[in-house]
Formats: sequence, C-alpha cells, structure tokens
Amino acid sequence: MSKFRRVGAVALVAGVLAAVVATSAFATSAKAKGCGTVSIGMLAPITGPAGSIGSDQLHWAQYFIDTWNKSGQKPTLKLVQGDTQLDPSKASTVAQQFASDKTIVGVIGPAGSDEVQAVAGILGNAGLAFTSGSATRVSLTAGPLKGFFFRDVPNDGVQGPTDANYMTKTLGVQSGDGVMIVDDQESYSTGLADIVQAALKAKGVNVDRESVSQKANDFSSLIAKVTSSTKVVFLPFQIASEAQLFAQQLKAQGKSAVVFGSDGTFDSSKFNAPGAYVSFFAPDVTTIAADAKIVAGFHKVYPGATSPFGAPNYVLAQMYATAIQQVCQKTGTATRKAVRLQLAKTSLSSTILGTPMKFDANGDVAGAAFHIFKIQPDGSYKTVA
Amino acid sequence: MNWNLFLTELVAGITHGSVYALIALGYSMVYGILKLLNFAHGDVYMVGSFVGFGIISLFGGSENLSVNSWVLLLVMLLCAMLAGGLLGVMIERFAYRRLRTAPRIAPLITALGVAFFLENSAQLLLGAQYQSYNSYGWHGGSLWAEGFTLPSGVHVGMPQIIAVVGAVVLMLGLTGFVQRTQLGKAMRATSFDREAAAMMGIDVDKVIVATFFIGSALAGAAGVFNGLVYQQVWPYMGFQAGLYAFIAAVVGGIGNLPGAVIGGLVIGLAQSFSIGYISSTFSDAIVFAILIAVMILRPSGVLGRAAVQKV
Repeated sequence: MSKFRRVGAVALVAGVLAAVVATSAFATSAKAKGCGTVSIGMLAPITGPAGSIGSDQLHWAQYFIDTWNKSGQKPTLKLVQGDTQLDPSKASTVAQQFASDKTIVGVIGPAGSDEVQAVAGILGNAGLAFTSGSATRVSLTAGPLKGFFFRDVPNDGVQGPTDANYMTKTLGVQSGDGVMIVDDQESYSTGLADIVQAALKAKGVNVDRESVSQKANDFSSLIAKVTSSTKVVFLPFQIASEAQLFAQQLKAQGKSAVVFGSDGTFDSSKFNAPGAYVSFFAPDVTTIAADAKIVAGFHKVYPGATSPFGAPNYVLAQMYATAIQQVCQKTGTATRKAVRLQLAKTSLSSTILGTPMKFDANGDVAGAAFHIFKIQPDGSYKTVA
Repeated sequence: MNWNLFLTELVAGITHGSVYALIALGYSMVYGILKLLNFAHGDVYMVGSFVGFGIISLFGGSENLSVNSWVLLLVMLLCAMLAGGLLGVMIERFAYRRLRTAPRIAPLITALGVAFFLENSAQLLLGAQYQSYNSYGWHGGSLWAEGFTLPSGVHVGMPQIIAVVGAVVLMLGLTGFVQRTQLGKAMRATSFDREAAAMMGIDVDKVIVATFFIGSALAGAAGVFNGLVYQQVWPYMGFQAGLYAFIAAVVGGIGNLPGAVIGGLVIGLAQSFSIGYISSTFSDAIVFAILIAVMILRPSGVLGRAAVQKV
C-alpha cells in the first residue's frame, strides 16, 4: 500500500511538472504567433575591441524600438541583445540562441562581413531574416543569402570605384603618381583596399599597399615610406580616431600627401584633420536639419558622441517595425517567414539617413550612392561630391 | 641609403621600445619574485593611461589646457604611477596572495581573469570609445614643435624625447633602488630563494607588495608616455601592449631587469624596421619569429641564466 502511495505521489509530481512544461511551451508558442509583443534579435559587438561601434548600433536600434513603443504603435516590439564582440564564432553562438528563441521573428546584425557569413547558415535554416547596417562586403548579397540577408548601406563595390574616381578626377592623381593604401587587416578593410587598389592600378597609378593592426597606434614607421610622389594615402579603417592619428603623425613628419578615409572613418568628432577627405554611404545624421529632433532625443537618452555606424540600425529597426506591422494587419500572426517576405517588399519614403529605403532583389539598398566629404579647417565635414 | 627612412625607423623603434621596456620590467619583477606571469599587468598600463587622460580633462582638455604642459605632465605621471602602483597592490592582495602555494596554473588563470575584469570594468565605467591625449593640440601644438632635427631632416618631437628620457630615468632609478637600498636587497634575496629569505628574517609579504607597487607604477608611467606620443587610449589597449612587453621580457630573459630593457628595445626596433624595410603586413610575424629564434638558441633569454636544479 505504502509502495503504491509512493508511486502515486511520484506520478502526481511528474504529471504536474509535465503540465507546467507543456503550459509554458504552449505559452511561448502562442506568444510567437500572436502580435501582442514581437521580438527582434540584435547581433552587435557590444563589448570587445569594436564595442564603441556595437554599442552605438545597439543604442540607435533600441532608441527606435523605445520610440515606437512609447508612441503606442502596434505591435509592441522588443529588442533582444546578443553580443558578438565582432567575433564570427561568438556571433554563431548567439545566432544559435536566436534561432532557438521562437519569439524572435527577425534579426538586426551582425555588424561585420565575416560574422554575416558565419551566422548565415544558422539564421537561414531557422527561417530568420537578418539585416546589417555595416557589413559591406560585395559577395554577401551575390549568393545563396538572397531573400534572407539584407543591408541598408551601399556595398564596397559602390564605395571603392567612387573613391578611386574621385582621387584621379578631382584630386589630380595621374598615371605614374603614387597612392599608399593602408588596410587594418580586417575583412572590411582589406576587401575595400583591394577594390580601390585594382581601380587605381587600372588607371596606371603606382600603389604602395601596406597593412597595420587595427590596434596600432604608431604609424611613424609606415609614414616614413610616404615619398614626395605619394599624392594620396587611402585609409579604409573602421576606427575614425586611427585615421586622425595617422593624419597627425603624417603632418608631424612634414609629409604633404592627402589623407582619404573610407566610410569607417566618417566621424567628425574623431577624425577632423583639416584638408582630409572621407567617403560615406550617408550623411552625418547630426548635421541634417530634418533629423535634429530625433538626434536630440537620442542624445538625451544616450549622451556622448555617436558614430556614423549607429543610425543605419535605427533605419533597420524601422524597416522591421513597418514590415511586422503590415504582416500583423494582414494576418494577425507575425511568423518568421511572413516577416522575411514582407521585409523584402517594405519601402520607406524617407529615413533619417536622408534617403528613401528599399531593398533590391539581392537584398542591397536600392539606388545606393556614396558621398565624398572634405574636412574643413574647423573640423566639420562639407559634402564635395 | 635612405637615411631619412633609417633614422625615422630608429627613432620610432627606440620610442616604442622604451614603452615596452617599462612594462616588461613589471613582468620581470613579479616573475622574479613569485614566478608568476602577471597577465593583468598590461591592463594596469591601460589604467595608468586613462588616469593621465583624466588629468588632461581635469585641466580643461587638450585644446584648452589651463596649466603649463610640463606641470601637466608631472601631475599626470605622479597620478598614473600612484594609481598604477595601488592597483597592482590591490591585485596582489585580493587575487594572488591566497594562491601563492597553489599549483602554478591557478594564479596564471586568475591573472587572465583579472585582466578581463579590468578591461570590462574600464569599458563599463569609461565607455568603449577611443579617447585621445591629443598632445598635438596642447598649447597650439608647441610640444611637438619643440625637440630637435636629425641631419637627414627627421624631426624628433618633445613627446618622443620625454618618453625615451623618462623611461631611461625610471629604469636607472629602479636599478639604483634594487642595487643600493635595503628593500632592493630584500627583493633580490626573495627573488633568489623566497623561503630562505623568510628564514633570514625578511618580510616576504612586504617585499612582494613593494614589487607589485613599483612594477605597476612603472606600467602606469608607460601608459602616460604612450598616450603622450601615440595619443590613443581605450579599454583594450593593455592586451596588445602587454603581449609585446611580455615577449620583450621573455626575449631579454624573464626575471632579469636589464634583460627586460634590452628585450623591449629589440622588440620595438624589430617592429619599426620590419615595417619600414620588409613588410607592414608581416611585422607581427617577424616579432614572433624573433621570439621563437631566441627561445631555440637561448631558452632562458638574452640575459637570462639557465636555472640549475638539484635532483
């Protein structure tokens, strides 16, 4: 009898546990399907060497989500953070977590091109759309990621030729002149450097290709190799203050070559060497009059400097919010597939980047163009092309 | 021969090497006393660098300094050395002391843990953004305009001179301290045989604390010199500098103070000359190749002595 009672008690406990598990699983599943609160994952290098970029990206996306929720828009959105530290293996681990979390219907990020490639299989198999506001490697949108991966920034295939053309057509770099290209050994930098190098060599320019660690703080050894025939030093760096340091050390050695930074160096608070040039996929949102209210609101919540890598993530969050809202209005259920398909069709007539936003068939931003800025004596950026 | 290139690389190598040497001294001192590879040492250097940056901000920022550059530098150095020294003592007290008799792997892993703790704490408290000493902007750039010009036209700016001379003065001061003071003598005795030193009445705890304080203070000073010449300060700067300084200490002969200085200069010069004459892409590979070569030819380092073990 006592044995029978013990078995009964164990069965009762097991039954209760099973009911709890089943109820919670059902609740999770119901939550995922409903449009009450919908989650978007965010893969960004929140800590680590690129933490300054990643935290800014996170802040802009979070700022949009908070603004959306405060304005009473439906459905309510939630941003789930995942720190990748700009490391593809860490990005894969976080991507697995996102894939398993059925409440997540789409992902913002990752930031780096290597990370995008690392998480592609995981997120793609889970049916998730993923979008980057900074991964610019050309090949990312040219292959099997079509329909799953999107980006709201022009790729290096647009930036490289734009920069090379500006050097030859406007800065007077001619066949036989020298251009030093210094990459920072990261995939973004080396990929872009390769494109610019090829474009310049095709025009007969002598290219001195150099490479430094992203953490380097002494360029004097390299600058010693800048000769009088070196007209331009092209810096496809991801950290703007590194370009500033290069320009300062170049000046300290009395060299007169023009410094030309890529979009990664576009940050007037960090790179403001007068006379230098910078290319970028969008204007500095802090200088756009129409964005003043949004930028002021952002700075109120996140005081301090913002980098140009941040704002595209605001737009990505906006694209997701619009797509999710449309899906919810049509079907009442935000599934991963529906959000992904709707995202591909979503179009914004204006954004804080100063341009409309729509993805083309490959997932690239439609009608992409790069801008060239010249740094003025007071350190401000002026559009020159 | 392009003398301009040669002298530029020489100046860059000596400047960088001086900073590495100051950090390497801390590695060597702690290893000499405790046989501990203190991987948190690079992050003490980072903290020193941030203290210097804080002092600049306190006096109005790089563009609007309210004090003379020399006074500022003195205050920065003193504060960074004090902060670095105290941080080193705290690390020893709270992270390493209980592990003195533990297997070697335990304090080694703890040291790595302390390094990550300091890096992440710095990022949390100070932000992940790169900050700049911007010594080019101090009083209209007067500091960089001062200095001297070598025959080939290579200008050596005052910050570079300060870094090299400052490092040399600190190294000589340390040598004098270790050779001529009672505490220095106790340090050498403890380094030779910790148990015997304790039996001879030496307060080993006091010696270890002093070692951590001095080594960490030198790292703090290195942080300021680095910021003065190379401008950038960020939470993860200690990892790479610490790694190079560790290589310098090993190349020179870890535990040997003059060896740490020689190792620092060798690494600094190897870096700059490999960038200038071979390839910027492979400069790190060349530095590590030197390390491997030294380890194969002289496993105990350039000035290190092979340990004799009784069996």
